Amino acid sequence: MSTDEIRARVKKSIVAITNIGLDEISDNASYKDDLQLDSLTILEIAVDAEYQFQVKLSDDDLGEIRTVDDTVKMVQQYLSPAMV
Amino acid sequence: MERRIVITGIGVVTPIGIGCEEFWTSLLNGRSGIAPVQSLDTSDYNVHRGAEVKEFNAEKYILNLDATRLGRASQFAIAAARLALADAGVEIGSLDQKRAGVSMGTTSGEPREVERFDDSYVSKNLDRIGPEFLARYPCHVIPAHVASELNFSGVNIMIPTACAAGNYAIAHAFDVMRAERSDLMLAGGSDAFSRITFTGFARLGAVAPETCQPFDRLRKGMIPGEGAGVLVLEPLDRARRRGARIYAEVGGYGLSCDAHHMTAAHPQGDGAERAMQQALADSKTKPEDVSYISAHGTGTLTNDRLETIAVKRLFKDAAYRIPISSVKSMLGHTMGAASAIEAAVCALAVFNDRVPPTINLNDPDPECDLDYVPNFARDLRINVAMNNAYAFGGNNASLILRKRELLN
Amino acid sequence: MITGMGVISPLGDSPARLHDSLCQGLSGIKPIQLFSTAGLGCPLGGEILDFDAAKYLGGERNLRPLDRTSRLVVSAAQLALKDSGWSAEMRAAQEVGLVLGTMFCSVHTISEFDRRTLEAGPAYASPMDFSNTVINAAAGQTAIVHNLRGVNTTISTGVTSGLEAISYATDLIRSGRARALLAGGADELCFESFYGFDRAGLLCRSNDSAGDFPIPFDSRRNGLALGEGAALLMLEDVALARERGARILGEIRGHGSSYDCSRGQEDKDSVQAVASAIRQALHDGFILPCELDCLSASANGSVAGDRHEAQGAFVGLSGQAHKLPVTAIKSMLGETLGASGPMQAVSLLETMRDGVLPGIPHLEEIEDDFPLDMARAQSHEADVINGLINSIGLDGHCCSLILSRGEA
Repeated sequence: MSTDEIRARVKKSIVAITNIGLDEISDNASYKDDLQLDSLTILEIAVDAEYQFQVKLSDDDLGEIRTVDDTVKMVQQYLSPAMV
Repeated sequence: MERRIVITGIGVVTPIGIGCEEFWTSLLNGRSGIAPVQSLDTSDYNVHRGAEVKEFNAEKYILNLDATRLGRASQFAIAAARLALADAGVEIGSLDQKRAGVSMGTTSGEPREVERFDDSYVSKNLDRIGPEFLARYPCHVIPAHVASELNFSGVNIMIPTACAAGNYAIAHAFDVMRAERSDLMLAGGSDAFSRITFTGFARLGAVAPETCQPFDRLRKGMIPGEGAGVLVLEPLDRARRRGARIYAEVGGYGLSCDAHHMTAAHPQGDGAERAMQQALADSKTKPEDVSYISAHGTGTLTNDRLETIAVKRLFKDAAYRIPISSVKSMLGHTMGAASAIEAAVCALAVFNDRVPPTINLNDPDPECDLDYVPNFARDLRINVAMNNAYAFGGNNASLILRKRELLN
Repeated sequence: MITGMGVISPLGDSPARLHDSLCQGLSGIKPIQLFSTAGLGCPLGGEILDFDAAKYLGGERNLRPLDRTSRLVVSAAQLALKDSGWSAEMRAAQEVGLVLGTMFCSVHTISEFDRRTLEAGPAYASPMDFSNTVINAAAGQTAIVHNLRGVNTTISTGVTSGLEAISYATDLIRSGRARALLAGGADELCFESFYGFDRAGLLCRSNDSAGDFPIPFDSRRNGLALGEGAALLMLEDVALARERGARILGEIRGHGSSYDCSRGQEDKDSVQAVASAIRQALHDGFILPCELDCLSASANGSVAGDRHEAQGAFVGLSGQAHKLPVTAIKSMLGETLGASGPMQAVSLLETMRDGVLPGIPHLEEIEDDFPLDMARAQSHEADVINGLINSIGLDGHCCSLILSRGEA
């Protein structure tokens, strides 16, 4: 799965969870500062990414997710080589 | 002249004991009810400990209804109700049952009933679910079952304001009695351990891996628990007439709403402060006259810090002189039962002039620098106790109990 | 004092539209589209088709974490706040609270959360859904959206939840604990609760002869239809209402409640419980049965429930029931559970305004021993100054409320 594909799916999930328009979500948008999301919503986005890609992030990793790019990188890290 | 309302009986079902005596002794000895979770397979979770009620024999307390047709939270509630009435020495037959009522709180009601529904749904066996789902699941069945067991046909209400529910239920019972709509109220809260609750808190990252350490620098979160607490509330004149033991008077209460966030408290503890302030005003208590505070003290980083901030803002210098303990350090978080059980703790503290400790407090958080009665119970004259509770949805409630000797 | 109202119902999202539809005998009960009723005994429900909360809130953005029940409440609250003139600035200056009655809040969200745990494992449970699994979620969410920092309580007593919430709020204002409160109730239509009612054998079945069900009080009735919605009244103390020149729609004159320990199983007890709630409301309102001008019944087509209400009204109103014009709007809305009592209040206030009382469509044969001589299938004129509203649960709770016409 390419980086672009992962990013597209992550953004789609953000749209579904937050109702923010797709065009408002830039690649390096900060969840807290740019998109004004609270910690519960950010956690929801991270868990949804885990669910969609069937990966399991550690609690520490979850704490490190701050932007769309972070989410994409984290998912890539955990996806098995066969899927990439 | 408004009726004065007193607490004459206490019944509890808790992870450290069933019945007032066993419970109080365990608390004073700093006994913990936290252990590996038994009722749920936690292998797929990253946390495994909880505070479950051990060796609960429902049939011992449920004499009129069929215990097997009741959910666990209802069973706990009936048991606590019967224990409370026995503790109060109330002869059920002597009551005007139309003027006897039940006011309960809960967080999740009877979650195992909906879990059963979900198990059947997922395994495509929904046919297994019959009429019992509607009869046992909706949370109003909890006070309903208590009333049906005891034949109380007065006020009957469920106030499911989550982790503050017990205080709300007791406050409402207090109001109902002052308005003379009832002559005896059983008031409290009940919650049962469940997959739904455990999963939810675990998923939020709120659950501690080992133990509950409120106000400690190394605290890692709350421990989900279960249980029930029920108080018998009576008008003072009736209690005196029948020579009842009076634990404490209900002085007043305060309720507020953060209106900030569903799972995170207001960053300045604003709602918590307002609830405490209202409780003081309602009971005509000066801040410096509070002798003991039973904290919400869940053991999460944020709650304990914010609660401390709110107490300091309201009580100012007096905050440093008032002992505050969190029995959640021993009981875990019994959800809707928590503030009811903690109200019982306040009543016992006022009656016995002793306060339970906050255990596991070995390395206090520098931001939490109040007197949390670390590790050992303390003898102390308690005239006025305050019971604080804060819930998901921003529901805050504070209750004031005071010594019967303060009554003229 | 009632200074405003907001309603989201199967027959319209304004009191006037709702009233109009009811008086025309239109039915909101239709084949359900929200979920599949295949394999179930009843395909009908009072569904709010095309419900879109964004319409009332000016966009989706604030609504993202809210489930259907929360959206219903948030929308009804928006309408009630607008109707009563409580602007955002005013709410920032003066605390407005919320007392919400709900039977389930969202059993659908709870189930979805749990089913995902079962199907995908606890690591993939949704944190956002979890925050909506507590029964006070809708009240909490609404407080956040509308900055309601006053008392925030959730009441869960089954069908009577909404009317109990209005009673609770009334008492808080009477005792000076609150000055302005939104009070009412809500419940959503969802597969999980629908299934529960179906399995309990409570839902109506169309039969060959009449085809149109439910028909409250009719001897051919065979069950209820479930509905959904939210209705909130703005209640204020009279001084505040007058101070700000608010339009006064009516007044909560009195209320009463009781509990049937047989949970609907013993006719004698059930009838007494209904009568008791009515009598207490009359007593609380200092009003005689002959001073009532109409009855808004809780009757929803239940075989037993409607009987208990009819006979209970006879006893509770000291034989005056047969003279009282009576309506049963659940005939057209369905049984909207937590929203039902508040919807009856909204409808009654409209009747007080325009002098028309909705009929009970298809009513043809009332049972012989029902003292309801004044029940009609068609809507008709009625000059209502004092109206009695009943909410009667399927399993024990009874609540009655008396409204009086305001200085319109």
